Formats: sequence, structure tokens, C-alpha cells
Amino acid sequence: MNTSFAKEPDLGVEIAGIKMKNPVMTASGTFGFGELYTDFFPLDQLGAVVVKGVTREARAGNPPPRLVETPSGLLNAIGLENPGVDKVIAEYLPPLAGCGAPVIVNIAGNTAEDYCYVAEKLSECPVVSGLEINISCPNVKAGGLAFGSRADLASDVVRQIRAATALPLIVKLSPNVTDIVEIALAVEEAGADALTLVNTLLGMAIDIKKRKPRLANITGGLSGPAMKPVALRMVWQVSQQVKIPVIGLGGIVTAADALEFIMAGASAVAIGTGQFINPCCCVEVAEGLNAYCLTHGIKRISDLIGVAWKE
Amino acid sequence: MKYHIPRAPVRAQIKTREAYLLTFEAPEIAQEAKPGQFVHIKTAKGSDPLLRRPLSICRALPAEGLVVVWYQAVGRGTALMTELMAWDEVDVVGPLGRGFDTEIAGEKVYLIGGGVGLAPLIFLGQKLAGANEITLFGGAKNAGLLETAQDLSALPAFWATEDGSLGHRGLVTELLKQSLEKEKPARFYSCGPHGMLAEVARLARAQNIPLQVSLESAMACGVGACLGCSCDKGSGREGYLKVCKDGPVFWDTEVNL
Repeated sequence: MNTSFAKEPDLGVEIAGIKMKNPVMTASGTFGFGELYTDFFPLDQLGAVVVKGVTREARAGNPPPRLVETPSGLLNAIGLENPGVDKVIAEYLPPLAGCGAPVIVNIAGNTAEDYCYVAEKLSECPVVSGLEINISCPNVKAGGLAFGSRADLASDVVRQIRAATALPLIVKLSPNVTDIVEIALAVEEAGADALTLVNTLLGMAIDIKKRKPRLANITGGLSGPAMKPVALRMVWQVSQQVKIPVIGLGGIVTAADALEFIMAGASAVAIGTGQFINPCCCVEVAEGLNAYCLTHGIKRISDLIGVAWKE
Repeated sequence: MKYHIPRAPVRAQIKTREAYLLTFEAPEIAQEAKPGQFVHIKTAKGSDPLLRRPLSICRALPAEGLVVVWYQAVGRGTALMTELMAWDEVDVVGPLGRGFDTEIAGEKVYLIGGGVGLAPLIFLGQKLAGANEITLFGGAKNAGLLETAQDLSALPAFWATEDGSLGHRGLVTELLKQSLEKEKPARFYSCGPHGMLAEVARLARAQNIPLQVSLESAMACGVGACLGCSCDKGSGREGYLKVCKDGPVFWDTEVNL
């Protein structure tokens, strides 16, 4: 095929009613509130901007050291550092109005009531297109993992948030569970509009000179290429069981990685650690998806969703 | 403005005693870099080591479009960097971070550096030299690193080595103390090991001399997104500063030294 005459492929996808011009999103907690990478690319190049996890109260986060590099991976224990929902609404979200990409706010909390409070507050912000419910932060005692590791508790908190807001709800699940399909089905039944798979893998590292853990928090969440096969496997398992769309993330740094997730059943992908390594990662992945579709005569990227198990 | 230059041509890599001088072409960074800012360098082609390495800019030559970093091979990432040769390419992001405050003129200024912590001070010295009276205090384990610092900087300087192979045998802060008995400079700038910074801060506070320090930290993003390189605000204040974005240069009153 002479690609110079080929029609530009349609990279658009729709997640939980949110229309995105391409399937590449930022991962929460890796992109600030969208203000930090504007020297590298305009936000309208993204499928969606997912901003830092927000809680009811301001949080200072965990003491340092918070990061450890591991083979092809990164352990972090940030601890949900954020300015709190009121300040986020007053100062951090307004500049995102008119940014050209849907804005999704990640929320976390100690109790179901906290989640509902934050969700209600954010529902009043016209700039917010959807909420990502973090029930999977491994780094704080009250970061929601208590909800995310049991199907009944996950279902209960999602049901309460569902009642508190009309915004699309995307639930971000933890990989640190025995059966992720069970939890996915439970939150789908409770009213989730989409799922993000997956948060970081719980891990640790030890300094053999000091004979102590390297992270002040002792354990942290592993991200980066090292975790990609695990995340991919979970997307594969869950996307075949649920009817709602799945956003895949975990170690995506190239368009080829993103394509693996899409073929495993993800309707969109999110990039986190990849963006730390290459500040243009998100746009390069989107361009790479476009190039793949052109080369292979794919008219719509959505035609590739789940092809690895559909065909 | 921050730039991502994925294929910056390497112009030269010189192995000096104890360290390396890497010169690469990055006209935008050379043009806009301020003393105290850093570049974030990808050391591996693949994903291991995964993260970039933050390195202070030692010299920026806007006319030639060149940037120089002076670094030691301390781990796997920097060890890989030492293999770069002329006409290789290096993946660089920069200039990043908040640099030194250079709004100062007609004053006596001390620059106090330990080891390759002298790198950003050499850049700073060039910037401040015309308008101020500058004295450089350099310390290291032995003469190796300091010989390079002597080559890179023409500032009047005092040198200290732990083994006595160049200048004063002992700590650079001992030289600093001696000078403070004779005169009182208007400002200190310092970069180096934590113990040295703590002693410099103690001396500065004793005489009410404003001090700026450049801190080091492991980093992931380098732009303030990952919130990984947090440092204590000190004085019991709650919350953390980010070395990459709020620093790496801080007033000593802002951080816990």
C-alpha cells in the first residue's frame, strides 16, 4: 500500500463517556496537575490528562528517601502528597480549563465518606470530565488499599461514590491481590464506568551497607518496564470478563508496549514512569500508534482492542 | 524553558584524575542555563539503569552551543556515561531546577566547594566574577579533582586536601574559618558533601552571612512531577521541598542542613 495516499487512522476512543482523540493518557501521580511538561508538548496532544491523587485534607507525604531505582524499574513511596481538594479546586484545576484534553482527577481517602466528600466537591468543577478512584495506593495506611484488596469493601466504596456524583467513575485497581477479576467484577457491578489496571506492585529494596530498607517507608510501589508483564496479564484476564472499558498501564515506554496492552484488551493506556524517562513519551507513543495503524492498514485503533483474545 | 535533546552530539569526553569532563552540543541549553541548574542525562540506551542522572552544569558556552558537565563515576549510570566518546550522541533534558541567585554586585563573595561539588561553583564564578570580588575554597580527598578545578577556573582560590597532596592538609572549612577571622564576605555559595555543607552553614549563621547551597538527591523526573526528591524544610516546618524544582539551590534558611 502506498501510505502517502492512506487516510489518517482514527485514534479516537471513548472511555466512560469521555471522548479522547487518542488512547494515550497520563498516569496519576506522574504528571502533576498538567503544568510541568508544557515546555515539552501541549496538553491537547494527549487523550486525557489524569492529575495527581487528591484527598480531602492536604498531605505532606512520606519522609525521604522516597525513591529507589531497581532493574528496569522504580520503587516509590511518595505517600499521596497533595495540597488537598479545596486548594486543588481553587488553584490547580482552573489553569486546565480549555487545555484541549479531558481532565480526569484521581481521588483517594481514608474512609468512604472522604471519597464521597472529594467526589462531590469535584463534581461542581466544570473542568473535570471524570474521576479516577484510587483504591490501590500501596504507600499509605489510609490510601484506599484497604478498600482495594477486598471485593466486598471495594464494591461498597464504589457504590457510595456512585451515589455521590454523576461524573464518570474510573476505578484504579491494585495488582497486589489474589484474584483481580473478582474485584473488577465487584466494582463493575457497583457502578464503575471503567477500570484502570494496574497500580504499582508492592516491593522493597535493602541497602546492604546499612543493612536497612532503602525506602523510609520500608515498602514501595514498583513501576516501569519491570512490571509490564504482570500488568499486561491482568488486563488480559480482566478485559475478557468485564463489559466496561479497561485502561492499561504498567511499564509502557514505547508504542509497541501500548499496542500490547491494547491487543490484550485495553481501550486506552496510561503512561507514568515512561514520562520520567522521556518527557515526550506520551506524544511519541501516540505518534507511534498512528504510524503502526498506517503501516498495517488499521482504520481505527479501536479495532485492535482485545484482538489477542478475540481472534 | 526546558528542552529535551534526544541526540545531543558529544564533542569531547576527557578523563581527568578522579573524574570526567563531558562536553556536548546543546545550543538551547547553553543559551539559557543559569549557574546552579542541572541537566538530566539518560545513561543507558535501554531501560537499565532506568532513570536519568542529574548533573550540575559546570560550564555553558552559548557562542559555541556547548555544555560541560564534570562528574565522577559513582554508580552504574555514571559508569556507562564514561564510555561516551566524541560524535556519540547523548540524550539530555535541561536546563532544570532553580539556579543560584546572581543578583549581587560590588561585593566580596566566597564560593566553597567539595569534590565535584565545585562544578556548579565554577559556572557561578564565571558569571559573578566581573562584578564581585570572589574567593574560591576547594576541598577534596586528594589533589586529583582540585587540579581539574584549577584548570577550569582562574578565580583566586584556597585549596585543601585530606592527604595534603595539594594546599592545606585537612578540611576546606578550616581554611574558611581562618579567612573569616580576617574579613567578612557578603555572601557564601556552597556545594559538596553534606558534612561540609553543615559546617559551612554553621559558620555562615555564626556571622549572619547569607548562604546558598546546592543540594544533591536521587531523582526520577527532574521536573517536579514524581515528588520523589523531597527534602526536609528544617526548623520543624511541615512538608517537603523538591530538590529538582524548588532547588537544587536553596537558601540555608529554607532547608535542614
